[in-house]
Amino acid sequence: MNPDSDFTKIADTWILNEAVKLVPRHIVTLADTKRILGIRYSDWLLGSPSIETGIAASSMAQDEWGHARLLYSMVKHFDMIPWELEYMRRSKDYCSAPAVDEPFGDWAAFVAAAVVVDGALTTALEAFGGARFEPARARIPKMLAEEEYHWQFGEAWFRQLAGAKGDGADRLRAAAQAMLPTTLGWLLPEDELYRLLAHDLLVWNPGQVRARYEGRVGELLGLVEINLDHVIPMRGDWDAERRRGSGAPGEDAVERARGDRNRSLLADVD
Amino acid sequence: MSASTALGEGVYDVFARKKRGEPLRHVGYVDAPGDALAKVYAWKTYDEESWFEMCVVPRRAVLPVNRHDGPWGKKSDR
Repeated sequence: MNPDSDFTKIADTWILNEAVKLVPRHIVTLADTKRILGIRYSDWLLGSPSIETGIAASSMAQDEWGHARLLYSMVKHFDMIPWELEYMRRSKDYCSAPAVDEPFGDWAAFVAAAVVVDGALTTALEAFGGARFEPARARIPKMLAEEEYHWQFGEAWFRQLAGAKGDGADRLRAAAQAMLPTTLGWLLPEDELYRLLAHDLLVWNPGQVRARYEGRVGELLGLVEINLDHVIPMRGDWDAERRRGSGAPGEDAVERARGDRNRSLLADVD
Repeated sequence: MSASTALGEGVYDVFARKKRGEPLRHVGYVDAPGDALAKVYAWKTYDEESWFEMCVVPRRAVLPVNRHDGPWGKKSDR
């Protein structure tokens, strides 16, 4: 193999030519999921079970949005414009995990997402930040440090609801069961593009990612009698370009993410 | 006012310091249903400073020495 012809140097990282275009897809799927998850968390700033819980939800939403901004900025290394990704796309272009396409119906769904979806997102970040791409290695560790508090929050609430009297545990189980198949499909895309990224050591291989995720969420899911080994990943109507199955977050969520309503006020100023 | 709420929460006092060597000072309190959430709530609520160290203490663990009529004695007033 001739390094001069087979590899391109991007941000101090030599990347296989065939893999260069795949890194932005990976970055955007992480950033979009954080952006939409942040919107879903922000829906519960008011109405969560206590003032402290609302403050924590607010802080988690801010973290997700900050992380998304940092991730989008990485596409500059590939001659892409982050601003266009953030402000010019419609919901059908979003690459976010399907489990956050819809708002959380109740607090149990919020808690399930903090474990199932945020846990998957953190695992995907570890798999990217612990691999070869230099900007990810530099930026992701701080995100993971902030995510540690999201995990503690999700874990504590999951245990709280799983052990609650009434229908708390049933709702939690139902919400987690609804989110897991598409989230596993999103975390472990069985497509050639992801395999090429893993082959070039730009992400962990799927087996390593799955083992990490199981180690993170397996015991908690067991509290509501869910065995991750029995969950079949759902990748229906796989869209390779968006690295996810069919569907999209609601257009209203994306409009909120872009800030359309308030930016239009500024557009009228000469 | 009771020291615990309908959610089964207890009061946790929050102490923090900005630098090594500084004394821990009382910065506030949180209501939480357990130690794990008390730590998260404290960190996310009192994040106006870049704290070197923060800890939480369940108010029920505080033993008043000379006064029993203040919040630390009654374990209830916020």
